[in-house]
Amino acid sequence: MSELAEQLEKLAHSSPHWTELRYHRRNSQSLQVQKGLVKQAKSSITTGVGIRVLAEGAWGFSSTSDLSQSSLEKALKQAVECAKSISQMKKAAVAQLPAVKLAKGEFKLEGYEALQKMSLEQKLQSVLQAEEATRRHSPNIQSATCGYNEMFEDKIVVTSDGANATSRLARNEFRLSAFASHAGEMVQGHHTVGRTGSWECLFNQYSLAEMSEEAAKLAIDLLKAPRIPGGLATLILSPAMVGILSHEAIGHTVEADFVLSGSVAAGKIGQRIASPLVTLQDGGMVRETPYGGGDLLVDDEGVLAGTTTIIKDGILNSYLHNRESAALYQVEPTGNARAWLYHDEPLIRMRNTYIVPGALPLQEIIASTQDGYLVDCPLGGQADATGEFMFGAQKVMQIKDGKIVKLFRGATISGQAFEVLSTVDAVSKEFKLDLGSGYCGKGQPAKVDAGGPYVRCKAVIGGIQA
Amino acid sequence: MTPAFKKERENLEAAATKLLSLALQAGAESAEVCGSFRQKTKITLEKQDYHMASADDGYSLGVRVLSGQRQGFASCNTTDLKELKEVALRAVEIAGFSPQNPNYRIMASGNIPKEAPSALWDDSLYQLSLQTQKDWTRLMKDEATKDPRFRLNEGGVEIASDLFLITNSHGTHKLEKETVASWTLMGMAVEGDVITSFDYFQEISRRASGVPERIVATTKRFRETLAQNLKQGPPRSYKGLVVFTPRAVIDILLSPLSYHLNGRNVVEKTSKWNLETLGNPVLARELTIRDLPWLTDRTGCAIFDREGTPTSNQVMIEDGMLRGFLMDQYAAVAMGQKSTGHAYGGPSMPPSVSPHCLCVNGGEEPIAHLIARATTQQKEFLVINRYSGQVDPVSGDFSGVAKGGEWWTGGERAYCVKETLISGNIFDAFGESLFGISKETEIVESAEECPTIGVNNVSVTGG
Repeated sequence: MSELAEQLEKLAHSSPHWTELRYHRRNSQSLQVQKGLVKQAKSSITTGVGIRVLAEGAWGFSSTSDLSQSSLEKALKQAVECAKSISQMKKAAVAQLPAVKLAKGEFKLEGYEALQKMSLEQKLQSVLQAEEATRRHSPNIQSATCGYNEMFEDKIVVTSDGANATSRLARNEFRLSAFASHAGEMVQGHHTVGRTGSWECLFNQYSLAEMSEEAAKLAIDLLKAPRIPGGLATLILSPAMVGILSHEAIGHTVEADFVLSGSVAAGKIGQRIASPLVTLQDGGMVRETPYGGGDLLVDDEGVLAGTTTIIKDGILNSYLHNRESAALYQVEPTGNARAWLYHDEPLIRMRNTYIVPGALPLQEIIASTQDGYLVDCPLGGQADATGEFMFGAQKVMQIKDGKIVKLFRGATISGQAFEVLSTVDAVSKEFKLDLGSGYCGKGQPAKVDAGGPYVRCKAVIGGIQA
Repeated sequence: MTPAFKKERENLEAAATKLLSLALQAGAESAEVCGSFRQKTKITLEKQDYHMASADDGYSLGVRVLSGQRQGFASCNTTDLKELKEVALRAVEIAGFSPQNPNYRIMASGNIPKEAPSALWDDSLYQLSLQTQKDWTRLMKDEATKDPRFRLNEGGVEIASDLFLITNSHGTHKLEKETVASWTLMGMAVEGDVITSFDYFQEISRRASGVPERIVATTKRFRETLAQNLKQGPPRSYKGLVVFTPRAVIDILLSPLSYHLNGRNVVEKTSKWNLETLGNPVLARELTIRDLPWLTDRTGCAIFDREGTPTSNQVMIEDGMLRGFLMDQYAAVAMGQKSTGHAYGGPSMPPSVSPHCLCVNGGEEPIAHLIARATTQQKEFLVINRYSGQVDPVSGDFSGVAKGGEWWTGGERAYCVKETLISGNIFDAFGESLFGISKETEIVESAEECPTIGVNNVSVTGG
């Protein structure tokens, strides 16, 4: 790696333009089992160098999977030609990037070697056992699936203005689904987890047995559950749901590229946009819990990935930046430039996004809720630049007079993010990063995590109208 | 084929043949290699301006092996011999510790029928100059920014030339080449404090001819639709009739339908349907749905599938009755049938199952008549242009947001609604609760084709 880093550094410094060379090798494995049969067992290696230049006020990009000197030089030349080809067409030239503190040296997250040491065969045995345990939980479980993915990431980011960072990390995910059927009806229960670290890190919140039990039990319980009535309601969102809210509904609107396009967060720095109980952060590492699925020490522009406080006590405090947008806003970059593979350009992406925990125990929040729902098990979601969001939940439990009384079948939660966060009146001390095996999509995928405490708020829940 | 692409074809063929023989040498009883080469140039737009130009090319190769009914798969993105050797060994190693599964096969595939299209390649598009690509991108930018209320978040024009190869140890050897121009745009409209929902589109063409006109027309339509959405008003909660436009029908119906038509899900009993369901009604009798892989102007066009099996047009649901499943060789073996040419995927993954291009037949009444009839039944209703949310493929339950939803009253569009949730069950909605199907159909984003469909008994929840 160090020889390659030297080669890339020399090439970056030989360029008359601002130049970034990013070597990325991803070694990934994926297992999927259903009914005791391996549906998929695959291994994949993707290696190459992405080259980005800023020449004559325009960006150019090229990439190559051939690491020879001649191929790298050819790709660099092509990237420069690309930039020059559109420089005359641009309305506003991209200004030279100001000097910022850039990463140098080695950046490793724990777990890489340990995960690599464990054989794929051992991992497959665990996947087979988990699937069987889920399937045998009840005669009403028609089928079960279990999946495992891992990615070993090795990167070198070199820029002509001083970054030279070698990084290494391993990400993994475990997914369990149970399909229950009765009287011609079929429903699905699932449990997923995603981490950055070793095999053991995957099960630091829920054991494999608990995941299996929960997926199967949820499917069985949902078979009997009625659909929920729709309308504006008091909701206690679980850490996983808070994570989706933080990521989808707030996080995207404060990505500086969306802000520049006119997102609802534009011009609101310093303004109150949420209840004073809400402090929301995005971090490369999370103080409250290790092994987040979006953990990152250095981003793909060679900027150290610190923690950004997006909302502080309800006041919008910061956007998420890459080097270009940080220069435009005259702030420091926040280490949010990320690329999925070597042939992708770095975009502004989140890492671990979460609401900071409060002081109340969850039981106290439930006990003080007269009429509402506890919402858990997200099924994904989306948000708009308007802050309007939608996310699905598989498990919705009705609360009456401070007690959980009934399980409803999954529903969709919707609202305008800032309005919903303004209604927050309770934040629990319990905290989890719990996005599961989710990815964020923005033209290219990104592995992210999100979470927080239990949060009580008001939002629209989609269901059946009388 | 130009000399440059000839060289890439030879490289791909040589690497695929080498990988196949390496897998067999490593101990595989049979093997299949999928390979591709892509070269592309892209000019992107961002924040009302040009953002970046890029140029890339690259190979991708994947090998699937079988040993004693055990399957392994590995892939890489290079033709380098050392990496190919590692990939072959990994695939065989994975097969070695995987449990046996008698349904996995690697077989010889049939010949491509004469009537299959052959025009996926256009020399004019392959040789397109960067200047012309810049001109096309300028057309998109100029059209998009004609209305200052339109905010262009990102977009661009990409020109790609591809080779796709399947070869296996049972004599299958098929290569397809194609050229594709694609253009995408994502943005919203802003006027004062009013911001519309984000929206996006993607269109493709396999020929250079006509692309500039289509870029202008699709961008104009996109911009005007968003501007129209600036007139906003409150939604109302009700349970009753809603109208799905073709794009919304695709969002809400075709994806879960693909799940239940998937032969592998039939084998695993996670589909609602099985072989005994064939010939029985599963949706409203007004619905006929076909899978059409030979439409060259669609993204899903394919002459052969991921296993080399020739594709063909197929009726999936006819007058509401189930007529067939989507099958690759795995599903076909398990069900005692023949593959229908629906193995899906690229070199970096083993085959899965997917439709090519599902198309819903139009009905008999014009849209105007459908809307008039809907207004007679229910004075006010929601028209859904895009559905963003969940559809549980297993139960068919859906719950999500009506994006770009229009509130219609007295037979006319009144305004655009926001924060409006809809929920119900697709098998009910497109079964007993189906209200009507328009005669007119629309091709959505160069892919599926659908009519407008009215549905009863949907729950609408306004914010």
